[in-house]
Amino acid sequence: MKINLSQNQQVYRKNKGFLESIHIDGWLLLGILLLLATSLAVVYSASGGDEAVMTRQAIRIGVALTVLFLFAQIPPNVIYIFTPWFFLLGILMLISVLLFGDVGKGAQRWLEIGPVRFQPSEAMKLILPITIAWLFAHSKFPPSFSRLILGTALIAFTGSLIVVQPDLGTSLLIGLSGLSVLFFAGLPWKVIFTAMAGVVLSAPVAWHFMHAYQKQRVLTFLTPESDPLGSGYHIIQSKIAIGSGGIDGKGYMGSTQAHLEFLPESTTDFIFSVLAEEFGLIGVIGLLLLYSLVIARGLYIASQAQDNFTRLIAASFMMTLFVYIFVNIGMVSGLLPVVGLPLPLMSYGGSSLLTLMISFGILMSIHTHKKLLSN
Amino acid sequence: MPEHLDFNSDSESFHQKKQFQFRLYVAFIFTLILFAILIARMTQLQWLEHERYQGLAEGNRISIETLPPTRGKIFDRNHILLADNQPVYTLKLIREKMDNIDATMLAIQVILDNIEPQRVHEFFQKFKKRNRSKSYSLPFSLSEAQAAQFAVISHKHPGVTLSARLKRTYPYGAAAVHALGYVGRINTKELKNLDPKAYRGTDIIGKTGIERYYENILHGSPGIQQIETNVRGRVLRKLETLPATPGKDIHLTLDIKLQQFAESLMGEMRGGIVAMDPQSGEVLAFVSTPTFDPNLFVDGIDHKSYNALRDNPNRPFINRVINGRYPPGSTTKPFMALGAIENKFISPNKKIYDPGYLVYKDHRYRDWKRTGHGLVDMNKAIVESCDTYFYELSLDMGIDNIHDALAPFGFGAHTGIDIHGESKGILPSQKWKREVKGKPWFRGETIISSIGQGYNLVTPLQLARATAILANRGKVIRPHLVRSHKTEVLEQIEIKKISNWEKVIKSMENVMHSKKGTARQHALHLPFKMAGKTGTAQVFSLNAGDYDAETLHEKLHDHSLFVGFAPVDKPKIAIAVIAENAGSGSKTAAPIGVKVIEEFFKLYYSDLYYPEQEAVNTNEN
Repeated sequence: MKINLSQNQQVYRKNKGFLESIHIDGWLLLGILLLLATSLAVVYSASGGDEAVMTRQAIRIGVALTVLFLFAQIPPNVIYIFTPWFFLLGILMLISVLLFGDVGKGAQRWLEIGPVRFQPSEAMKLILPITIAWLFAHSKFPPSFSRLILGTALIAFTGSLIVVQPDLGTSLLIGLSGLSVLFFAGLPWKVIFTAMAGVVLSAPVAWHFMHAYQKQRVLTFLTPESDPLGSGYHIIQSKIAIGSGGIDGKGYMGSTQAHLEFLPESTTDFIFSVLAEEFGLIGVIGLLLLYSLVIARGLYIASQAQDNFTRLIAASFMMTLFVYIFVNIGMVSGLLPVVGLPLPLMSYGGSSLLTLMISFGILMSIHTHKKLLSN
Repeated sequence: MPEHLDFNSDSESFHQKKQFQFRLYVAFIFTLILFAILIARMTQLQWLEHERYQGLAEGNRISIETLPPTRGKIFDRNHILLADNQPVYTLKLIREKMDNIDATMLAIQVILDNIEPQRVHEFFQKFKKRNRSKSYSLPFSLSEAQAAQFAVISHKHPGVTLSARLKRTYPYGAAAVHALGYVGRINTKELKNLDPKAYRGTDIIGKTGIERYYENILHGSPGIQQIETNVRGRVLRKLETLPATPGKDIHLTLDIKLQQFAESLMGEMRGGIVAMDPQSGEVLAFVSTPTFDPNLFVDGIDHKSYNALRDNPNRPFINRVINGRYPPGSTTKPFMALGAIENKFISPNKKIYDPGYLVYKDHRYRDWKRTGHGLVDMNKAIVESCDTYFYELSLDMGIDNIHDALAPFGFGAHTGIDIHGESKGILPSQKWKREVKGKPWFRGETIISSIGQGYNLVTPLQLARATAILANRGKVIRPHLVRSHKTEVLEQIEIKKISNWEKVIKSMENVMHSKKGTARQHALHLPFKMAGKTGTAQVFSLNAGDYDAETLHEKLHDHSLFVGFAPVDKPKIAIAVIAENAGSGSKTAAPIGVKVIEEFFKLYYSDLYYPEQEAVNTNEN
């Protein structure tokens, strides 16, 4: 195929606006900003009008947006070059968490280096899918069997380091983000359906190895009314909040469930319930539309990406985002068991927001650092 | 980007891209289907079942409240209360329910006449910006009169409720603070490591001493209460209750009277006293001076008081009993003598000539008595605390044999007392110096080690325990502060010849009761026989000239030490006294030790030894 380079270059230049020249994707940014603005408003209401909480969240959003901007400036091939080192560093951090980690609330998840305290598993949410994408950057479609085995082994190894912290929830979600790369890289359908059947059949075995608190969560999920004083209480109250919101909601600052303190963790894990109570079904659909817009744009970026490495990253990031949204909303509405997981871009808190914004930054970089080639 | 990553230039990569895009479609459709499931779920909850949940929300007057457990009390061995919980009053404020926040603030300022109005104002400035529906406690407590005053006008101030809570108090104040410890507000570091469920509704935790060591026992576990409230959140009715399990009470082995007596003897001096029952290891007195008032810490200490305590040059925060490390001086001699005669390095009757010094490698090691003690056997060496005798002995034994003789008495090791963070002290050996200092041992160091100087360091608790083990004739015990029903004997030191032990103990008796004993003048009046040994430990080695207490800086003065037990044959109490920079052992520490022991016998065995006083007491009663 022969391409007239100069002609393409001209077309490209013509379409290049200001945002693109600073490596920002306008549509994606719009979706993110709308979600963050909603988040600020709902967090303020959920906290009962606490200005301190609101200010802290606004500062975090500012920091996170800056980080997004910075990451958008890094060309994907730079990330490609450093990927093996990031992975090695991530694994080392996970091992050091096990060796010297801070035991907070029964699990070693935090690493303290000087004044900085962070969870290496948070960084791994990005590093693992990038690493698997790196592994398949050279491979054909469908990939060779040995490469798939190697990819699965890396995912299992990383997951097992997190599962022994012990943090089963995060481990599963990170594993899932790695597996989504395998899916996009062309994992044969045969293998996918066999694995799914295997998971269903092995559930009783997994049950046997669960910690007591995890079993409790599953049991409570199955019959929340059996434990109305304990963790079943959370689900019951959350469902009351959502259900009582009705179609048009109780209005902004009108969440009685949050303000009378029936709803636990109303600014963090259960922020969706507050939104559903105050803005009703209309608000919920609006929120899901916003999320769909962001995901659709992300998948579009993936489809336009020029090489295997970047398209796998972009697609996997969007799938991870989707899984987090689905698991959180499924949890607070009683469809899924209670797992301590924030709602992306909505919940009060810093570290998950930062990880998300880095992934959006990488996504924008992928879209705006394209070579001047086209069909 | 490397050339082979470019997929747009041949048909195979075009095929690949199509395959990838197909998977993208599959993923997006999968996403939409699951979002549709979520929307279906929301429709079910918010549309179809809306009325039911609406009803539940309006009827949702049942909230869950945590009932914090009552902290266990702490008593001394005679059931005297040392740590109690006293009700205090405070105000709880909810902004949402207030009508006129400024009027309420003014009313509170008027009632709290003991608090500067500015501080109340500052609290309200912050409060106005916080969660409107949450309840916040005023950080000041109200006296009973103030609480009554507020109760009268409370109807004018909705959103403010008077609440009573229990506050930890230490009725004996500064007494035994280093053993008892204190509670304080949970800090972020502690918060990270504790079970949030067990501490719901509790904001204090044991910080030091017994309060910290037995936190799990004292704390208890919280209960849960279902409360029915009206629309504005006012409590109507209490429903199901799962009562809190209060923390368990603890009985200490301490005798608070003996403790206070011992503390008073220390006066302004820095130092430590430990008295214990040698048979059981029960600690009777645990003195570290200077002390401080634990009540200051319960509600959070203010910066000024804290800084004053922290910067106090006498360091009241240091728990000298377990963390004060002192050279043992001559109190080490009975232990060394026993090791020497048990292992046949010397016969107890062998006499050594002491000219007042020992010369080793051109260096003169001087005795405390410049003219010397003349011919000295083991008994005389202990009674008069002859240094030269032990210098000679140490060269025959070598540091490792000295180490092995002293180690069974617990020197250089944790005592295992039920308080966190005790120091190990140092019992030197060749191996220790190689490992810690990275240098070989010099024999000259053996010589000064024999009189408890040089590297040797002990805590008052270690010294008291070693004395107790000697008094027990080798029965090793674990010192402890909380009474337990079974006596814990860890092991028995191997006794080669019991007469050796009795000889050493007899010499220690002679220290107290014979004509030449270093502490004889303090024990003359005692109605029972006691054993003891004084010690004077150099803090600072003076190169030339004599020790002159008058001109030397106070912190360079010798430490004064004493160990002892009584009665000699069936010991009921063993003691160690260390007074920092207080001069010779016979001058300061010995009389304190004797007085504490005497007080103990007056308190517990007055019928045996002090029948007259007993008579006086009964008359008074």
